[in-house]
Amino acid sequence: MRIQGWMFILVGVFFAAIDAVYWLWSKEPAGTTALAISCGLGLMIGYYLLFTSRRVGDQPEDNKEAEISDGAGEVGFFSPHSWWPLFLCLSAALTFFGFAIGWWLFFIGLFATVMSMVGFVFQYYRGNFSH
Amino acid sequence: MSSVATASAITTTTRPHGSSRPNLVQVGTIVWLSSELMFFAALFAMYFTIRSVSLGQDQPWPGAHLDVPFATFNTTVLVLSSVTCQLGVWAVERGDVKKLRFWYIVSFLMGAFFIGGQLWEYANLAREGHVLSAGPYESVFYLTTGFHGLHVTGGLIAFLFILGRTYAAKRLTYEQQTSAIVVSYYWHFVDVVWIGLFATIYIIK
Repeated sequence: MRIQGWMFILVGVFFAAIDAVYWLWSKEPAGTTALAISCGLGLMIGYYLLFTSRRVGDQPEDNKEAEISDGAGEVGFFSPHSWWPLFLCLSAALTFFGFAIGWWLFFIGLFATVMSMVGFVFQYYRGNFSH
Repeated sequence: MSSVATASAITTTTRPHGSSRPNLVQVGTIVWLSSELMFFAALFAMYFTIRSVSLGQDQPWPGAHLDVPFATFNTTVLVLSSVTCQLGVWAVERGDVKKLRFWYIVSFLMGAFFIGGQLWEYANLAREGHVLSAGPYESVFYLTTGFHGLHVTGGLIAFLFILGRTYAAKRLTYEQQTSAIVVSYYWHFVDVVWIGLFATIYIIK
């Protein structure tokens, strides 16, 4: 992960340099702020990747001699199937539709969104999955 | 003899695989937060653009009298809630679910106080006629602070979900630790964004 981290740091340094030039040339705050925050975008991911890399140690991608099989194993937990994202998207669509139709629909949508979020967050905490 | 090579049985490197990997949820949260940062970059750009146009037309900026001491106090509460949130993270990393609950409830209350304070401030401004549609200053003020307020509200809901997860399960799992930690990332992020907004709107003007 070290190389990926430094790549994002490089993005941040690039935007910092561009930002300095932009400010000296234009003295205009809107673009300067946007570029400064773009610099933050690169530095934030870069710093986090380097920090994580220090914490978890070398990954297979850091080792020139690594085999593909070194990257095998469990990556994380991925829900095999779930209806909740569908309900969540439908509720969100209903909520935003409420802006166009009327506030009554907005509040119905908001309620549906909260219910879908509860379903989504607790889907592996109920029934068969309760632990 | 089988003609199929059994490469998986051959160890070519000394390092055991899969021993320690980066947590994908945490890395993904940071990448998502960087896109959130760009969302706020657009709001900052909007603020400065409309500010320079208004100043160019000789209109007053800021266009409303802001209660800076109160906003400073409110900001302090939000910043301190980041500290209590981090105490919760350290507790969950030790596996101490009771301390996690305590610190996350404290952080939730402080965040709720911040939102309450902001609503109070909005009510005062609205009473003086500064509603969203009153002018360019009101529009950018409510859009920037309002979108931030919505993010804080989202964080409050996330705190409730984390607390709910710790109560719904009999024991603290790795998944709960991960979700508690990524909610803290989000909370710190929203806090830092507010420091930027506060400095821009209330101090630099």
